[in-house]
Amino acid sequence: MRLGRDGVIGLICFAVSLALLVQSFSLPQLPLTPVGPGFYPRIVLGLLGMAGLGLLLQDLLAARADGPVSGGEPRPTAGVHRRVILLFGIIAAYVLLLPVLGFRSSTALFVLALQPAIEWPVTARAWAAVVAIAIATPLAAYLVFEKYLLVLLPRGSLTGW
Amino acid sequence: MLEPLGNGILTIVQWQYLLPLFLGTLIGVVGGALPGVTITLTIIVLLPFTFGLDPLQGLAAMTGVYVGGSAGGLITATLLGIPGTPSAIATTFDGFPMARNGEPGRAIWLGIWSSFFGGLLGGLFLILVTGPLAAIALRFGPWEYFSLFVLALAMVAGLAEGTLLKGLISAGIGLVVTMVGSDPIGGIPRFAFDSDFLRGGFPFLPVLIGVFAFSQIMTDVESLGRPKSGQAGAALARSSLSASHLKTIGEILGRPLLLLWSTVVGILIGVLPAVGGSAANMLAYDQAKKLSSHPDRFGKGTPEGIIAAESANNANVGGSLVTIMAFGIPGDAVTAVMLGAMTIHGIQSGPLFVSQNVELAYGIYAAYIVAHPLMVAIMAVSALIMLRVTQVRLSVLAPVVLVLCVVGAYAVGNTMSSVYVLVIFGAVGYALVKTGFPLAPLILGLILGEQIELNLVRSIMTDDDPWLFVTRPISGGLLLAAALSVALSVWQHLRHASRTRKVEADF
Amino acid sequence: MKRTWALSFALLLGAALVSPAAAQYPDRPVKLIVPWAAGGDTDNIFRPFTPHLQKHLGQPVVIANVGGASGTVGAREARNAPADGYTVYAVHDYIHLTYYAGIADVKYTDFEPVCLISATPSVLTASAKTPWKDWKELVADAKKRPGEITVGATLGSTSHLFPATIEKAAGIKLKYVSYDGLAPRMNAILGGHIDLTDSNLTQKGKVDAGQLRFLAIATEKRDPDLPGVPTLKELGLQIVYEVQRGLMVPKGTPAPVRAKLGEACAKAAAEPEFAAALKKQGTRVSYLDSQAYAGFLDKLDADNKALMTDLGLAKK
Repeated sequence: MRLGRDGVIGLICFAVSLALLVQSFSLPQLPLTPVGPGFYPRIVLGLLGMAGLGLLLQDLLAARADGPVSGGEPRPTAGVHRRVILLFGIIAAYVLLLPVLGFRSSTALFVLALQPAIEWPVTARAWAAVVAIAIATPLAAYLVFEKYLLVLLPRGSLTGW
Repeated sequence: MLEPLGNGILTIVQWQYLLPLFLGTLIGVVGGALPGVTITLTIIVLLPFTFGLDPLQGLAAMTGVYVGGSAGGLITATLLGIPGTPSAIATTFDGFPMARNGEPGRAIWLGIWSSFFGGLLGGLFLILVTGPLAAIALRFGPWEYFSLFVLALAMVAGLAEGTLLKGLISAGIGLVVTMVGSDPIGGIPRFAFDSDFLRGGFPFLPVLIGVFAFSQIMTDVESLGRPKSGQAGAALARSSLSASHLKTIGEILGRPLLLLWSTVVGILIGVLPAVGGSAANMLAYDQAKKLSSHPDRFGKGTPEGIIAAESANNANVGGSLVTIMAFGIPGDAVTAVMLGAMTIHGIQSGPLFVSQNVELAYGIYAAYIVAHPLMVAIMAVSALIMLRVTQVRLSVLAPVVLVLCVVGAYAVGNTMSSVYVLVIFGAVGYALVKTGFPLAPLILGLILGEQIELNLVRSIMTDDDPWLFVTRPISGGLLLAAALSVALSVWQHLRHASRTRKVEADF
Repeated sequence: MKRTWALSFALLLGAALVSPAAAQYPDRPVKLIVPWAAGGDTDNIFRPFTPHLQKHLGQPVVIANVGGASGTVGAREARNAPADGYTVYAVHDYIHLTYYAGIADVKYTDFEPVCLISATPSVLTASAKTPWKDWKELVADAKKRPGEITVGATLGSTSHLFPATIEKAAGIKLKYVSYDGLAPRMNAILGGHIDLTDSNLTQKGKVDAGQLRFLAIATEKRDPDLPGVPTLKELGLQIVYEVQRGLMVPKGTPAPVRAKLGEACAKAAAEPEFAAALKKQGTRVSYLDSQAYAGFLDKLDADNKALMTDLGLAKK
């Protein structure tokens, strides 16, 4: 039996719904409310689980009907894939650094790292632009938001800055 | 009625009121256009500045923010495919494709003029029929709200491109996301697995921005190397923002029914507290698609989609001002802040507000009306700047947009957990798009999830008779409409499917 | 590339570390966590307070509205904030209630008190769609159909506890429906979807318009602005109920920092302009310094615990 991408997703969907559904029965009940905190989730999770199951079945039937059917659009090349993963990695690192280094330092690093990750600068001038933007972005954001508009930005626990 | 309104307008156009109104509208447009910065955040930021002003000056500035912000979101939605505010979600569906097809000028100006007409029509309702509209709002108990949201959720069937099942799952995921954290009735931790982070739940804004911004940026990154994007980019570079205003206005006014109906949808959603511009925008879009003679053109850059979405979200502003004028009850987060500003200035809000404060009340009405031409003027200039932004290299644009998203996510509650939510749902949104799940139903689930649950449980707490959902006339009518809506979309789906099958057979 | 990376990292880190450490408090904006949405009751009291506070503190005070789950999300956020005086927490009685109701694991002892600033008396409010003209008729009706009169309340918070104490004292039985926050409650009560709720003097406009009825106020004496509304004491119920709002900081905040905050708070609370602003919120200034506030909180906590146990709402 062959399982397509949709089938896998349907299966995951079904499994997660089932797991949460089981959990919803063990939630404590407030004496005041006639229905507990699990009442509404059970309705939604039930429907979602059925939809997941439906997707799984649809995928199985389709696979039997006309053999291997892929998603529609051409799959991106491995290089593109790697780049997207790299970008998500840089973003994750940024977000984890934020509370440690504070907004200004980590944003500068983030902008500095993300630009070449999207498009590698070739000339020295391009590199200079990358650095300039990396410094200007946090600076401008800081001045406009925190200094002028009093929208506070994250401070670093390590740096207090 | 006309006389106080005339006086109001004469007051507002004096420079000491016009200036705050203009600045408010300008800040609103900018805040609305920045992805991650919502109208609510903008108005909260502006709030301290209004303490020193007289009440009408402050409220004029806030009205300006509201009107400007509701329109400003369309710039980012159209040019970048990321809604600048939640109320511009549906604008991305057709605005972005139209801009990518080389007509960004047409897309933007369709949006601006639709906002203008939708907003003014909304204002007409606001001023003329406040009483009856407010009466409708009072008729809505928990049963009616529940049924209304079920009707709104039934739109999933209409909004789902491709398979119905995937749309359903997408909506389900949205609903499940709103359940995580703590239950909205008793605050009992639910699906939180003893984690402080999960217990805080997933706030709407970071989820929305994450889902849209990340999937859009990553898709753009993917297509960087492909020749196709070069062409699209060239088309974008070649096309200017110039559009024939007469033609654009003609396109909008040539569809009076669409404009009127979208406006009515926007107002009604605005009048009913609990859900705001985001729902108005999507509901009107869905209505337009249902009533259209060629629903298959939606999502590919049809003008109807933009007109419906943008006229509805500005009409929604008029609607949410109704309850604040009629009862002193805020309809959404933005009007809550406005009401807060009123009480801080010592204005007794309530049913007698309009009759006791004629000048102030009509001053607000006037500010609302005058804000619209100001908005068009400001949008004309800022859209020109924004088109430059789309010509900026992706390697520069992407980090800047992402930093703005982070700032916006952090700013509302000043918590890092919102920023984590942003990134997590960025990944989720990207994965969903890659696997062919439509985002619109997900967003709809997110918007409605908590309200559906709240009102369902409220109705049961008020009266344990489940038949009330059907026997209360408004509630029953709404449920019937929901059933019809699903039936209609399924029929449209089947017809579309059989038609494409026929085409395939011809090959 | 790697070198550039490492170099810039080192540079930035260096610059960050060299920057002036803890100089004279406060040397940067102070964040005030309000655990409810902007435009709500609590927000409306702290908004006019912050300009005065920042004037006497010498640094901007910025409100962060961290709403959600009956105010417990903001409480948790405040508890986990660094104890450096740059995060201040705006609190009211709910902190005791949510703890005993088992909704939150945050207790008032997780914080150091700074000052109490205000007290807002509760007013028992009925929908104009109900038949009762006064308290007596309500009681008579409630005795006739126990458990059928609906009350809109934020479950486990002050708007729940106040009617619950009345319910107990008057020997009647009410039915509670969850409506978080005053605005949704007002919407429901104007439409007649709930019969009763806890509100305050800010809703006077709706009473004047005949859309709401104030049945009784929970103060010691009648309010001069509402001469026609009897106190619960007059009606024979020994209930005085006011929502007490104050400032706290996370436990471990250095004493000099607390002293500086307390001093600024005292001056701010004494501003006549602030008193005028509070009057518009149906609230009076009720100032206590950190020591008196600490004792007051202990008493409040014990009272609330007893009440919650008494009403059968306590879990802990």
